[in-house]
This record gives sequence, C-alpha cells and structure tokens, in this order.
Amino acid sequence: MKMSKSILVKLIALAVALVLAALAGVEFYNYRHTPETVVASSALTETHMLSEWVPSLKGTFGDTPVFFFDSGVEGGTMLYLGGTHPYEPATSMSAYVMLNNITVQKGRVIIIPQANRSATTLGMLGNAYPPYYKVETEWGTAQFKNGDRWANPLDSWPDPFTYMHYPSNLALTYQDIRNVNRCYPGRPDGSLIERVCFAIMEIIRNEDVDIAIDSHEAAVMYPVVETYVAHDRALDMAMMASMSLSADRFYMKCEASPKNLRGLSHREWGDYSDTLAVLMETPHTFTDWIVGPMTDDLQPVGQDEILKIAAEHGLTYVDYDYEFGTPLKYRVGRHLEGAKEVLSWANDMQLMWENKDIQVTWPSYNELMEKDCGYFLENPETADPSLVFEI
Amino acid sequence: MKKIVSFALVLALLMTIPMFASAAISGDPVMTFDGPVMITNAGQGPGGKMGRLLFSRAGTLVEEQDFFYVDVPYAADVTAREYSAIFVVIGSTDKGLGATGITIDEEIARVNEVMAAAKEANVPVVAVMLEKDKRSDVATNSNERCIDAVCPSASWMVVIKDVNTDGRYDAFKTANGTPLTILDNSMDFIELAKQI
Repeated sequence: MKMSKSILVKLIALAVALVLAALAGVEFYNYRHTPETVVASSALTETHMLSEWVPSLKGTFGDTPVFFFDSGVEGGTMLYLGGTHPYEPATSMSAYVMLNNITVQKGRVIIIPQANRSATTLGMLGNAYPPYYKVETEWGTAQFKNGDRWANPLDSWPDPFTYMHYPSNLALTYQDIRNVNRCYPGRPDGSLIERVCFAIMEIIRNEDVDIAIDSHEAAVMYPVVETYVAHDRALDMAMMASMSLSADRFYMKCEASPKNLRGLSHREWGDYSDTLAVLMETPHTFTDWIVGPMTDDLQPVGQDEILKIAAEHGLTYVDYDYEFGTPLKYRVGRHLEGAKEVLSWANDMQLMWENKDIQVTWPSYNELMEKDCGYFLENPETADPSLVFEI
Repeated sequence: MKKIVSFALVLALLMTIPMFASAAISGDPVMTFDGPVMITNAGQGPGGKMGRLLFSRAGTLVEEQDFFYVDVPYAADVTAREYSAIFVVIGSTDKGLGATGITIDEEIARVNEVMAAAKEANVPVVAVMLEKDKRSDVATNSNERCIDAVCPSASWMVVIKDVNTDGRYDAFKTANGTPLTILDNSMDFIELAKQI
C-alpha cells in the first residue's frame, strides 16, 4: 500500500515535534533536578527541613532547608527569608552570602535561603530567557538559577478558577495559590504553598522570632521598589532604617503595610505572630516587562536599552542609570545592609521583647560593592563537607 | 608658646563644628511656634508618621503636649485644638491609594478641605517633604498633585534637597514668597524639630 504524500508529511512533522518535545523535556527535567550548592559558615549550629514544622511537606519540592545560627548568648531571634520569589535572585544570593559569612555574637539568626523551592525548579512560563546566571568567584564560575515567581504546576495542580485566600476569603488571581507571598498565614492541610507558608509561620511562632525579614526584588517600573514595607508594629523601626540608609548609603523608601492586602508576609506575619515583620525590595531590571533582549548579562548586570529610554521619559519609579545598571552585587549589598540596618534600629529602639537584642556580622554594602558576590562564596569542593548543602 | 598655639588650633577646630553641623539645614531660617503643632500627611503615605517619629526623637518635644499626630484630619480637626501650626508631610503611598480604601481624588479633596480650614482659622501650614519623590510629569503622579494642593498656600516649606533638584520648590518660593528651608536629608528634620 502506498502512503499518501500528506500522511507522510504529517508523520514527519509528528516525529520532529516528538524529538523537540523530548529535547525540551530533558532540559526541563535537568533544570528541575539541578540543585544549587552552597556553603554555610562555621557558626552554623543546627540544620532543619521545613517539613519538621509541617510533616506533609516531606518528600515534596515544598520542603527546604532551614539554617540556625545560635550565639549561645541570650538575645533575640531574627529570621531572614530569601527565594520567596526565586526569579528575584538577589534574595537567595543575599541569603547565601549571609549563610556563608555570618557570625552571631548575641541572640539567634534563622535563614531560609529558598522559601519557595518548587519555584526554583522551572523558569517564568511563557518567557524566553537564560535558565541560569553566573557569578565569578576566586575558584571559578558558579551558576545559579533564575527561577520563577510561582511554584511549579507539577507540584501544585490544578489551580482554582479564582484563588480564595485563607482565612480572609479575599479573591486573588488563580496562580497566586502558588505564590508564597500571597498564601500567609497558610494552613496545615491546604495547598502545597499554603502548607509552606504555615510552616514558616510555625517557625516564627514556635521559635519566638522577634524580627522577620522577607527579601524581594522589584521592577524599576513598579512603584514599590527600593523600599521597606513594614507591619504596623515594625513601622517606626523601618522608617528610621530607611532614613538613615538614604542619608549616607543608598536611597530606601518606607511604606506601611496596607491592612486590606492579605496573604503577604509584611501583613500576616505581624498579624498572626508577635514578630516585627519587614519586607525589602531592590531594583531589578530582569522582571521589568518592557526590557529588550534577555541576555546572560541582564540578571547580573542589569543594563537594558529599552529601560534606558523609559527612564529618560520619566517612566521609572527610581533613577535608572544605564551605565551602572542594577548589578547583582548592588542588590545583594542593599539587602544585607538593609537587614543589618533594621536590626540596628530594633536594637536602638529597644523594640525586641524584654529588650533582647541581636548582634551579628555579615558583609556590608560597601564590601559587596568593592569585592562582588563571588568573593564571599566559598568553594563547595574544598569546604568542610559538613557545611556544604544542596538546595 | 607651643602650648598656646596648640590650644588656639584646637579652639579654632572646635569653632568650626557648629558651622558644619548647621550646614545640614540651609535656606531660609527655621520658624518658631508658640504652642502645640499638628503633624499630619497629604497623600496617605508614611510621611506623617515619619515626621511624628522624628519630632519624638528630637527629645525636646512631647507628643500630646507639644505636638499632636492626626492621621487623617478633616476641617473640624484643624480647630479642635489651638494649634500654632500644621505640619503637612507630603507623600503618596506607593502601595496604592486603593489599598487604603480611597482614591487620590478623594484624598486631594480632603487635603483641600484642611487647607481651606487652616486659612480660615489663620493657622499657618508648613509643607514638608521628607522622602525623595521621583519627579515625573505623568498626570497620575499622586505626589505632584499633593504638592500642588499644599505648597501654594503654605506659610513655610521644609524639604530635603533631593526633591528640589529641578527647582520645583524654588518656583513656589518665587511665585508666592514662601520661605523655603532645605534639609540635606530627612534625618536633619530632628535638628530642625529642636529649633522650632
């Protein structure tokens, strides 16, 4: 029997499609199963997994490491969160630099570098961009993931038609059921990310976290950029931190957490625990929707011609200097200094319960600007194996 | 002789300190007020709370005695006490006025109401800007609308230097003769608060 020409063409097209799908599938699989390797400082005292607070997370991509640094000297406790939105990687990178270089003289610090680990297992759906960004170190080039904003649909599916936030019943966009910063305070029997959020709330409550900082990045065409957003009780502290940073280091605004926006860390952490809740935003060109080519350099360097034109027309919410861009070292430095400044004012204003203060050391903004991120990342190959972790 | 020269040098050095310290506040002299002042905001931003915090940190002013923070005042609040001045800290919320439950038009209407009541009661209004505002001629810029609602009828303007790089406040001073005091940064408002 002779096969018609049209059927032959269809079969060839099908075969080509299958080959392309297989190639893409391998790439997706590898991305999902490639962890980031990081080193902790010798000040590390305990390592846990998030599933210890919500057991149903065990074995899922919602489970993620939680690092404790306890000085052994009585004081307050601080929580630092990176990777709430993994496509804002100065957050996880600042957590890695903190993790690798921290010393604690008084009180405790808890670090969760990748709060939404599931969202590190895929890229921004519908976008075309490099899967990884590179950081130059003294021991070679290290690569880290660009990630997504929302958890992987493979881990949390299907999305509801409309996501109803628990417990406010506020209607939110459907995919925000996979957004860590829309699911607080969470619930122990909810969706994957509601359980992740509940576990983080349990850490805050059970570990008596006095001050909790959620790091983020924002497009320079988004109003809430270069900003602290603080819960009511943390507002004075964040305002003083913003004014002192703006006076002698870099510009930082401060916003009060709106009471009507639900599910966000700066609102629910403060409402559902005693912690002083603060969110921080750095300027980030990579998530600006109008940017031109999404090259390898866009994430770590942040120079974009289209954004330059927008800035010249006064359309950006912060100054955007094309020559400077928004380099990773600048954003990581801002986060590390921003967190330190908040702690400093919390101590100064004696806001911690029973006047417990926290004394810590990690790289400053000036050190990041001078030496860049790679300088502060130890080689996992030569580091003490007990301090090397895959996330 | 050597000791006298050293002493004179140290004295000369010490005498320069107040000069540097006062350099953080420039422009027209700081005004003083007899009696309590109200501190509030225009634009629903955190500026009013920032001003209240900086007043408190001055250490010379007592809340509920020397100054009263009123979050969202209306006309009746202007005469609720014998205020000697109303400090209106300008700054719109970037988290969105919608999140506060009102629109910018409603906020401007409220600010206009307060300004009119202050004028009628002869209470001077001090326009304050403590946060850098990204200058923009985009029509929806809430900050610009708040500035236009407060500054033309203010009795004194106190702004950080970063918000006047385009001469926005110099223009108000030229047009209306309103004194303009410039702060190097918002932390200098503490020093200003000690002097009012």
